[in-house]
Amino acid sequence: MAKVIIYTTPICVYCKMTKEFFKEHNVSYEEKDVSSDSKARDEMVGKSGQLGVPVIDIDSQVIVGFDKEKMSELLKLK
Amino acid sequence: MYDLIIIGGGPAGAAAGVYAGRKKLKTLLITEEWGGQSIVSSSIENWIGTVSISGFELAQALERHVRAQEGIEIVSSDKVLAIGGISGGFEVKTEKGSKYQSKTLIVASGGRRRHLGIPGEDKFNGRGVVYCSTCDAPIFKDKDVAVVGGGNAGLEAVIDLFPYASKIYLINRKPDLIGDPLTQEEVKKSPKVIIINNAQTQEIFGDRFVAGIKYLDKQDNQIKEIKLEGVFVEIGSVPNSEFMGGLLEMNKVGEIIVDHKTGATSHDGIFAAGDVTDEIYKQNNISAGDGIAAALSAYNYLLNIKKQSPAYEK
Repeated sequence: MAKVIIYTTPICVYCKMTKEFFKEHNVSYEEKDVSSDSKARDEMVGKSGQLGVPVIDIDSQVIVGFDKEKMSELLKLK
Repeated sequence: MYDLIIIGGGPAGAAAGVYAGRKKLKTLLITEEWGGQSIVSSSIENWIGTVSISGFELAQALERHVRAQEGIEIVSSDKVLAIGGISGGFEVKTEKGSKYQSKTLIVASGGRRRHLGIPGEDKFNGRGVVYCSTCDAPIFKDKDVAVVGGGNAGLEAVIDLFPYASKIYLINRKPDLIGDPLTQEEVKKSPKVIIINNAQTQEIFGDRFVAGIKYLDKQDNQIKEIKLEGVFVEIGSVPNSEFMGGLLEMNKVGEIIVDHKTGATSHDGIFAAGDVTDEIYKQNNISAGDGIAAALSAYNYLLNIKKQSPAYEK
């Protein structure tokens, strides 16, 4: 199974949509809240080169934003 | 061929969908995303009948209400690229290459965030330039930021930033703020907020990330500079009407001109509703009402063409 990390902030709707998408497809993930964890914030900026959430890391491949198709592709979902 | 294709899944499109369903029109609704522009709002407190609802919950409620209608078909996560006239109706082409035909259309494609159109804005989009304050405000913890825009959206972005940013410059083009007085008071009370009126943002600069902005102070005509790390752009919206091409009459900002009694556009059989139209008040409740008017008008239009067709005589 793919290793999935999602970088979020508390009231970001696209973060919620991404997490619901994971639940729907039974994808387990680790969540890092960049508003309270500055190490996670720096990690996110380092990986994505940018400052917006959500950032999704699927086996070290980085997606910025709620991009269903790209996530499906990397997670090999039908 | 469908009776009706609805383009959009915000309050206008969803309301049209519910009414079209109840009128038993053979309907297709195409939307990229449910809920419209307020999906990113953390709390909507003026959706009538509901004291407070998040944009996300409103989006889910609208989707559920449309899906509860029998006989409505839904295509989501696709985008309409072009509309053409065909015999007896219209053809809608989408980004994914699908084509759908219908006798009538309701355009409820809403609006999207207006950009400043200044140097550095695109380059630093996501690198300090922010269009979703509820999403990205927490990332600017202990940083200095600017919010551009003195209307309600600007004021709300400032409030989103209260718990995080250390200093918030509110850059306002006009001599005074124009947002709701109650929200203005809240913003003015905060020691973190510095309001700069009569200021025209000119440039966003930086290296890898935003390092500051330049603005024209219209009072002394000097270009001034502020060092900061985030720029929240909150200057209103532009209508998503480009895909209509030259088919419909629009005003100079690209809003579809409609008859506000019926939602009728300049083209027979095409109706429009919500923020894509020249409706003055861009409000969820009004868009829902507009969507209903458009659906009922489409229904009446279909009744009339049925009466006029020779087959009806038999």
